[in-house]
Amino acid sequence: MAAGITTHVLDVSLGKPAAGMQIELFDMSTQPPTLITRTRANRDGRTDTPILPAAQARAGDFELRFWVADYFRTPDVFADVVPVRFTVADAAQHYHVPLLCSPWSFGTYRGS
Amino acid sequence: MSDNQTLPVFDARRRRFALQSVALGGSVLLAGTARAAGTEAAPAPNQTSGPVQQDGLDPRLTMHALDTWHGTPAAGMRVDMFRIEDGQAKHMQTVKLAASGRSEPPLLIGDAYRAGTYELLLHVDEYFAARKAELPQPLFLSKIPLRFRVTDVTQRIHLPVLFGPWSYNYYRGS
Repeated sequence: MAAGITTHVLDVSLGKPAAGMQIELFDMSTQPPTLITRTRANRDGRTDTPILPAAQARAGDFELRFWVADYFRTPDVFADVVPVRFTVADAAQHYHVPLLCSPWSFGTYRGS
Repeated sequence: MSDNQTLPVFDARRRRFALQSVALGGSVLLAGTARAAGTEAAPAPNQTSGPVQQDGLDPRLTMHALDTWHGTPAAGMRVDMFRIEDGQAKHMQTVKLAASGRSEPPLLIGDAYRAGTYELLLHVDEYFAARKAELPQPLFLSKIPLRFRVTDVTQRIHLPVLFGPWSYNYYRGS
């Protein structure tokens, strides 16, 4: 896998990809942060193209925002949006940053 | 202080990192940066008491941060709390977690416990530096935002977070 950033959203309450969830990627080096991409998870819970393609790979601070409340729709979803803020230290490396979620729990990690 | 007890653990980790550093050609790991940044000694985590039972308590917001890298509560970690209004984050308070890794007193209680969207910002970079954790710099996770909602003020909310240098989880707890 080439450099850049990819993500994957899994709905652990269903045991399925969170198809259709809106996902945004922000550049955190500016104030306010700059929107780089707004997209939706496909039926596999991934984005059709890397959320930051290899050609745009760079070191820096980024934030993924997952629109969980719109996806789950139940009124007591624990968050409206789940931000995941992380740093790309080495632009030559690939950063896979998934979200595992249910309406009341959210988790992320540096994946592969 | 438990420093005498924890030192051998750090020594072992230091050796392990030194070996990895050699294996990687030393390019990635800038050990020492994190240590140099840690100006304040980390308070000792309390590992002598058990879980706290909150069943039946009045509505309130509490949190508990656990450091899964060291296997301890995140004693002394700085946490900023914001209220999100019209997309803007308004700073409400800054707290330092107790030796138990908990917010003591509760973050919100009584009239202050209101419905809305909030964000807690965990200063994990400062925390790991104070604990002299030798990690590649810059960290993958430096400041962890935990965004959540209070939708029903008649219900208590406990927000546990499990975090390490490469991952975290938070959830509605009890």
